[in-house]
Amino acid sequence: MIKFENVSKTYKNGTPALTNISLDIEKGEFVFLVGASGSGKTTFLRLLLREELPDQGRILEAGRDIGSLPKWRVPYLRRNIGCVFQDFRLLPNKTVFENVAFALEVIGRPRSTVDNQVPQILDLVGLGTKSDNLPSELSGGEQQRVAVARAFVNRPLILLADEPTGNLDPTNSESIMALLERINRTGTTVVMATHDKALVDRMRRRVIELDRGELIRDQVRGVYGVEEGLAI
Amino acid sequence: MRVYLRYAFKETFSNLWRNRMMTIAAVLTVAVSLSLVGGALLLKQSAAQASASWQRGTQVRVWMSSTATPGEVSSVKTQLAQMPIVKSCYYTTQLQDYNEARSTVPIDEFQALKVADMPTSFRCTPTVPTDALTVISTFLHQPGVLTVTAPVQQIREMSHTIRILQVVFLALAGVLLLSASVLILNTIRMAIFTRRREVSVMKLVGATNWFIRVPYITEGFIQGLLGSGVAMLAVWAFHVWYPLHNEFALDAAKVWGTNIVVLVVGAFIGSVGSAVAIRRFLDV
Ligand SMILES: Nc1ncnc2c1ncn2[C@@H]1O[C@H](COP(=O)(O)OP(=O)(O)O)[C@@H](O)[C@H]1O
Ligand SMILES: [Mg+2]
Repeated sequence: MIKFENVSKTYKNGTPALTNISLDIEKGEFVFLVGASGSGKTTFLRLLLREELPDQGRILEAGRDIGSLPKWRVPYLRRNIGCVFQDFRLLPNKTVFENVAFALEVIGRPRSTVDNQVPQILDLVGLGTKSDNLPSELSGGEQQRVAVARAFVNRPLILLADEPTGNLDPTNSESIMALLERINRTGTTVVMATHDKALVDRMRRRVIELDRGELIRDQVRGVYGVEEGLAI
Repeated sequence: MRVYLRYAFKETFSNLWRNRMMTIAAVLTVAVSLSLVGGALLLKQSAAQASASWQRGTQVRVWMSSTATPGEVSSVKTQLAQMPIVKSCYYTTQLQDYNEARSTVPIDEFQALKVADMPTSFRCTPTVPTDALTVISTFLHQPGVLTVTAPVQQIREMSHTIRILQVVFLALAGVLLLSASVLILNTIRMAIFTRRREVSVMKLVGATNWFIRVPYITEGFIQGLLGSGVAMLAVWAFHVWYPLHNEFALDAAKVWGTNIVVLVVGAFIGSVGSAVAIRRFLDV
């Protein structure tokens, strides 16, 4: 589903963010992207969204080299990728319903689909009763669940999450993780960048660790940090 | 398409309402700037029209001496008729001149005049007032010609003043238009800057650039229309409450012509301004 071939990225100001990364992520996988702050996790996700282009190497998504995609095709690429961020990125002046519906309106879905799908996905994330509230009237955990609903409402192939639990308490983190797992079970590939050691350790999923832009570990049933005797 | 039109429509009006302070600011900016532009255009047209009507009225008069022979008179007549710079001429007989003098000359002097003493004359309208000077130099020393008169000094001054006035008003309109464009663009840019977050979210969920752009452009278009609508009222009010007089008075058609220019400019600046202002935020 996702393939990096010798990808390097250096920002315009000369900061090297990723160096010679090669890896494969299969369809339906759940992958944790870990590493200290500044190690290149966000850059990794931005490359997948084609918000940035690699300086070297190729990135393939669903078999297609996204670097060769013409600019006008980029929105169509993004429709296959859902995104969740640490800061939620909801539209503050739209209701919960409108925020989620927006993702469908943008890709030209008819009203009937919107009216049918949005309540369904809001029920799934447990916010069926809050659809007319504004984001500012919700807790952080609830806002993040709206963001997950928006990311998933058009059933993307890939879901990217950049520290989605970074602003949440453990209980809310749990419920977001449960949602992401559930989404993953529908066959969606999930890539999640995180700092949350406890989460990663408990989930026992594939862990990719970056250190100053280099891939230093790719472990099938990994934990957050390498501990003595656990390294493969 | 239907879905999108509905979306764009809804989005345009909810944005106008939601950002109503910005909407008001933009509309007022357009209104004030375009009122001034419209006013300057009106004055420019008024000056042009005054100069035209005044040009039509300028006359040069070739006086024949009372002793001129019929041959000399007809020679002057044919020459005048052949001059391309002379639009029309008519001949004033001694009797007509005598009658004219009755009202222009003091009564005791008039009583001393006899019809036979009166000079005959040609009243001519030159195509352009300054051509009067050529007529003077051509005929002044011809046999039988008493003198040639025209309001020379006024001709020079008026044509000079009016030329300057037109240039000044046109330049004024140009400068005002330029500053209006800058002001309007800036207002729109500020309005969009506060919404760059919204734009980035749209990009994230896969909105195409046109999808994002159109509601902003229609929004700018409507702001431009509203603003120029107010400006049109202002121009009209100026025309009605402070009408210009005599040769400077403009008819309604000219005022509406100016207003149409104001409307088109307002709508154009509003929509193109928005399109330009949003471009920066689309490039992610
Ligand atoms: N837009 C940017 N311009 C310049 N440098 C950047 C930019 N984004 C990130 N960086 C730099 O690239 C490196 C990797 O950053 P990032 O991918 O955000 O790491 P992480 O998400 O793991 O904290 C850091 O050194 C960071 O300072
Ligand atoms: Mg980051």
